[in-house]
Amino acid sequence: MSETLDVQLSVSDFVALTNQTLEYAYPSVTVIGEVSEFKISQGKWVSFKLKDPGAVVNCFMGVYELRQPLEDGMQIMVKAVPRLNPKGYFNLSVRVAKPVGEGSIKKGFELLKAKLEAEGLFSPERKRSLPRVPRSVAVVTSTESAAYADFCKIINDRWGGLDVQVAHTQVQGEPAADQIIRAVRYFNGLENLPDVLVVIRGGGSAEDLMTFNDEQLARVIAESRIPTLVGVGHEIDNSLADMVADVRAATPTNAAEILVPDKAEIIRTVRRQVTALGHQVVQALDEYGVRTREQLFSAFQRIEERLDATFERLAVLRLATSQLNPESVLRRGYALVRGERTVGGTIEVETIENIITAEVKDVREK
Amino acid sequence: MSEKNKTVQEKLSELSELVAWFQGPNFSLEEAVDKFKQAESLADVIEGDLGKIKNEITVIKKRFDRDSE
Repeated sequence: MSETLDVQLSVSDFVALTNQTLEYAYPSVTVIGEVSEFKISQGKWVSFKLKDPGAVVNCFMGVYELRQPLEDGMQIMVKAVPRLNPKGYFNLSVRVAKPVGEGSIKKGFELLKAKLEAEGLFSPERKRSLPRVPRSVAVVTSTESAAYADFCKIINDRWGGLDVQVAHTQVQGEPAADQIIRAVRYFNGLENLPDVLVVIRGGGSAEDLMTFNDEQLARVIAESRIPTLVGVGHEIDNSLADMVADVRAATPTNAAEILVPDKAEIIRTVRRQVTALGHQVVQALDEYGVRTREQLFSAFQRIEERLDATFERLAVLRLATSQLNPESVLRRGYALVRGERTVGGTIEVETIENIITAEVKDVREK
Repeated sequence: MSEKNKTVQEKLSELSELVAWFQGPNFSLEEAVDKFKQAESLADVIEGDLGKIKNEITVIKKRFDRDSE
């Protein structure tokens, strides 16, 4: 014997009562199945069927709730409220839909990647460079994670004087993407913007890292007024969040290394520079010494040349002068005659050895 | 700005300017020794600063698990 509800209801009341009962029994259900007949109407409404080999159920949701593109054939998990709509169709009113299983996660990633790429969100022209040494840094991560501890250790080892503001959020699971989005928006809304916005998360499974393939999160990072540095997972992991970031770090540790220079390296560089300057001064002094010696040498040479020329000229003059000396003439056997050159006059004859006084006996014309 | 109030970054820039002077057209032996001494003492200050300055890391109290109030 089955019990019957002996109450007469209008159709509307029946639908309302059914929905009330469903809501009471299943405030939220999680259902996994394959997508088919996926459709977006008027750019606002998403409808698809979720099926497995034995059954099919209609699903309905708003476009704004769809955080990743879906496609027929993808295996997805939905969180939804079951409802009977006034037109008599039973469906799931979906709040969350996300791919499950490696193949579907990869497919969802590729679809969204292609979409964002077509919009130019990954283009190199959009990328801003980070300041070489930031003063203020905003970090979005889970402060309970090993990745955060590593990040702090590395920046403390490498650099000092940073003002680091950290927003603690979940980094995996359903609420993570929204929390990270709120944190990114919070920092972007500050009056004094930090120099760099860092988003980090350590390694994990493909499902763990799915948070960073969320379309809204990727868009918020791409729109950030603060230059962004994103390091998610391990080196081999690629997320859409790090593809849209201004700078991608392979890991959270790598993000810390990119963020600040290594003070030990800076000190070495500074020392090298100063030593090089010292060498330059010594070299300049050496060059100055060499140049001065060369100039002095050249000056001495010029003086010597001048002296040689002067001495040469002097010797010529001396020779000429000596030849004009009357004594030289006398030495060659000539005599110098002085006195009255008339008959009976007295003359003085000077030779090299004697001075002779003589009387003039005859004077003739030659 | 006095030397004391300058950031490490500003001091590094100052050192870079000194290095550039040595490589530039205004280099003169008369000034070089003084400039070298300046660079040397700046390097000491930078090394000292880098050794002692600490980062200030603050986890903000704001929660992000729901839309802001």
